[in-house]
Amino acid sequence: MIARAALIALRLLPVAVTVVLVVLIGQRAGEFRLDEFTYVAIYFAALLGLNMLTGYNGQISLGHGAFMCIGAYVAAVAVLGRPGLALYGHHPPDWLPVGDGMRPVFTIPLAFVLTGAVGFLFGIPALRLAGVSLALATFAMAVSLPAIAKKFENVTGGGGGVNLPLPHTPFGWDISTKRWLYYEAWGVAAVLFVLSWLLVRGRVGRAWRAIRDREVAATASGVSPAVYKTLAFAVSSAFAGAAGALLAIQVSYVNPDTFPISLSVLLLASVVIGGLGSLSGALFGALLYEFLPIYAQEPPLVHFAFGKQAPAVVFGVLLILIMYALPGGFAGAIRRMFAPLTRFLRERQNTREPILEPARRGEA
Amino acid sequence: MLAFTWPEFFQQITSGLASGAIYASLALALVLIYRATDVINFAQGEMATFTTYIAWMLMQHGLPYWPAFVLTLVIAFAGGFAIERVVIRPVENRPEIVIVIVTIGMLIAINGLTGWIWGSEVKAFDSPFPNRTVDVAGVAISLQDVGTFCVCLATVLVLWLFFRFTTLGLAMRAAAVNPGASRLLGVRVGWMLAIGWGLAAALGAVAGMMAAPTTFLDPNMMLVILIYAFAAAVLGGIDSPVGAVVGGLTLGVLVNLLGRYVAFVGEELRLPTALAILLTVLVIRPQGLFGHAVVRRV
Amino acid sequence: MKKTLAVMACCVGAAIATLSSASAAREGAGSAAATPGFTKSSIVIGGTFPLSGPVSGYAPIARGMEAYFNYVNNRKGPDGKTGIRGRKIVWKYYDDAYNPANTVQLTNKLVLEDKVFAIVGTLGTEDNQAIRPFLNERKIPQLFVSTGASYWGLQYRQFPWTIGWQPDYIAEGRAYGQWIAKNSPNAKIAVFYQNDDYGKDYLRGVKIGLGAKKSLIVSELSYEVTDTSYASQIARQKASGADTWVLLTTAGTPTVRAIATAKALNWKPNTLVINSVAATDAVMAAVVDRVGADFVSGAISSAYLKNVSNPKYANDPAVKQYRALLAKYGPSGADSNNGFYYYGVAKAYDTAKVLFNAGKNPTRASLMRAALNMNWTNPYAIKGVKDKTTRSDHFPLSQIKLARYTNGTFTEFGPLIKGR
Repeated sequence: MIARAALIALRLLPVAVTVVLVVLIGQRAGEFRLDEFTYVAIYFAALLGLNMLTGYNGQISLGHGAFMCIGAYVAAVAVLGRPGLALYGHHPPDWLPVGDGMRPVFTIPLAFVLTGAVGFLFGIPALRLAGVSLALATFAMAVSLPAIAKKFENVTGGGGGVNLPLPHTPFGWDISTKRWLYYEAWGVAAVLFVLSWLLVRGRVGRAWRAIRDREVAATASGVSPAVYKTLAFAVSSAFAGAAGALLAIQVSYVNPDTFPISLSVLLLASVVIGGLGSLSGALFGALLYEFLPIYAQEPPLVHFAFGKQAPAVVFGVLLILIMYALPGGFAGAIRRMFAPLTRFLRERQNTREPILEPARRGEA
Repeated sequence: MLAFTWPEFFQQITSGLASGAIYASLALALVLIYRATDVINFAQGEMATFTTYIAWMLMQHGLPYWPAFVLTLVIAFAGGFAIERVVIRPVENRPEIVIVIVTIGMLIAINGLTGWIWGSEVKAFDSPFPNRTVDVAGVAISLQDVGTFCVCLATVLVLWLFFRFTTLGLAMRAAAVNPGASRLLGVRVGWMLAIGWGLAAALGAVAGMMAAPTTFLDPNMMLVILIYAFAAAVLGGIDSPVGAVVGGLTLGVLVNLLGRYVAFVGEELRLPTALAILLTVLVIRPQGLFGHAVVRRV
Repeated sequence: MKKTLAVMACCVGAAIATLSSASAAREGAGSAAATPGFTKSSIVIGGTFPLSGPVSGYAPIARGMEAYFNYVNNRKGPDGKTGIRGRKIVWKYYDDAYNPANTVQLTNKLVLEDKVFAIVGTLGTEDNQAIRPFLNERKIPQLFVSTGASYWGLQYRQFPWTIGWQPDYIAEGRAYGQWIAKNSPNAKIAVFYQNDDYGKDYLRGVKIGLGAKKSLIVSELSYEVTDTSYASQIARQKASGADTWVLLTTAGTPTVRAIATAKALNWKPNTLVINSVAATDAVMAAVVDRVGADFVSGAISSAYLKNVSNPKYANDPAVKQYRALLAKYGPSGADSNNGFYYYGVAKAYDTAKVLFNAGKNPTRASLMRAALNMNWTNPYAIKGVKDKTTRSDHFPLSQIKLARYTNGTFTEFGPLIKGR
């Protein structure tokens, strides 16, 4: 009994710790730390999506940044509306339902749905592609989307981009803007986390993993790859869209340069280093994505001239070294660390509550 | 839009073939590594840039072109060999995604290293071909482009001969297809992989030295070319050298024609449109133009 | 196992360090009334620059500024004290890789964590646009932005805390347009521009300058940063029959590539006009290497700063001082012929002067007042160019001179042209 409870507690521990830390930081941190950890929430949301697609379903995507781009532009255009865009001299075509401006919070579910739809449409032809071809297709998306955003200037503001109105705490609540943005981002991330958890531990997650590990066997067992693979794309891009909307609100500016190909590449690297196939991996990946570039420029622990002149070299080498040391990512490493404990608890659980003693050879 | 004239049409095509030859050269290197080790080396372009800078440095120190060229190829081969043994070997047997991340890390690191060592100011790079342009029926064809094109074709030919008719080539193919059986037959699989990377690095160096006279030398020279090369390699069939060349040339011409003759596409959407067309081809024929159809055995 | 534990321990340690500094940086800690960024002994200023990535060619600007500020910290100023009235300038700059999202984050870091007094010299039109509302809302000076977009000087009523520095692109384009209209009234003009606000601003200026002669433009084509070859566009420009070519490209690779491509396509326009950011002696030297001096001899550009690689300025006291201070205080091995270091030094000169003019106990408001009250000659600028701002003139440097490329260098000619 105790062993079982202990096992469950161990499973919930990361969640509990995260919640406590999030609240603690929210209450005590200064403006800049709040800002930094808001970005962590945003990338956490994005990486949850990428994790489901690449980790649980095994489809390598080099285009996650493109879906964030879509979400960000949806949010920007929705928040500004026709009047806002007109200030920049941009007039979207009449048939486009741009609206007259929306409260930023509401653009997040809007971006979620619209980007999910785009992801779904992308997923359908992508069924024919696998491995390298799929990587190329997602890569092509990441390259093309900024160019498309630049071309359709009347809707997106083109290369010059658009400023969103600076965020302000809504409804006159008495908390600072940065704090509000922090809680907004973490609130969205929490909702997405729960959604992700439900999907992953349920039938959908099992189907995804079955397709990832043994697609042929899965198909033979009645799991339709077409349905679940497309679903994976739709869900992961919806998450990216929501994250993109949050990013647009946080940065208060979007233009094609804010979503370069390097974003997609680094998001993939982050989720792998954080730990594929585990939800906490997405959190580690987000922490890494947010803090490693800043600290590669100013290494806090080790100071060397190299760092200031060539932060990229430090960053690249670190990526490689982490892949050597922790191929399962940080989440995998933590799981390994706790493995003796979980194994012990599982054994205790089993010996205490035998289901059926398997008969020994030679005994009655 | 400017009126259509035949000379200009052919000019667009020849220019497209010229840039396509550069994409094809880098695509060849990608294909080689993929055939040898089943890995897409995202750092291929940066390795090519780095070795091209080495060639530049050698020439700055007084070495004439051809000795510098050959020496660079040797250095590139050694570098590629070393990278496979030192950087890739520890993660050889890990899942594909891990190796992808390692090559991405290499891309970032080598790009930073190139900029740090040589600075980001643009530099001119010598060409072995005469710096002249001939006029053929109204179409200007630069000898540099002709030379690049010929080198590209020659490289494919050399590779084909190498894999088909030499023992080493056969051993490399065997090691790629069935490492276990090859080991039993006495093939040193580890060395074959390393040689594959070395050869690919040398190919990359050739691509860089062919490209540099026209694109000029700067640390980010190959970043965008890698996108085209990747697309070309996959379009052609990721394990087919001939496919890489066909893919590269096709892509070069397609981008030019789309930009010039399709008003909606204009200059801004040339690359996205070309990529979209490519992907449509891939959806219809997932193994690429010359690739082998993957047969899944249950 | 041990390896894993070691790595984990390091990461946990780093995490603890980060989180503990989270509780240390409390909102409103310390005297909130004091102006952030300046103490009895230092003034902290900062900016973001593309130190890496495709436009890292501009990185020397930040380092040039750094060299000059180091020099200021070590020399005795007009009041006999080192630094600015005895306070050391602390110059912080970060790499935003030209991505506005990074610019916003890093500017937040400068403002909220490093607590800078002012943001100075941040590079990039879009990057500055991204941070402009935030800085203006918090009343933080966005000083001397490193871009020539005209709206810093034009939109000052909306954004009073933002001010540019260099002559803007529209003014420069206008100078070229006017010159062509006057000197080649029957020219056929082809314009090749970068497809972003930079190129488009220049183009707008050229058209304004041409005025009624705008119809002389027979071909107007753009390129993207993702283009590997411009042969397609330049072939079209050749086919248009143009004899005057205006290049509105960024510094470095795009410029050399465009010119080399033209030569490879057997196209030699009679007149070549290149925008000043791209037309540096170093870039031209790389071009000459491939196309020969004949092709580019006589090319027109413009300048407002002295051309350090022009032998005419070899003995100019300001240029000599620049070389000396770059060698002593700049990064080791810095090439003093690189005009971007020089640009950084020139900008830092003006920055130091307005910091000084902000008074003994400067506030952000007094700094902006000083920036709107500029009236002097920057020794690094060409003769006749003055730094001048008033409450209604928000363009510090606005005069330029046309320059011609002969004998391997750009030399100014003609009268001083008023930008605004």
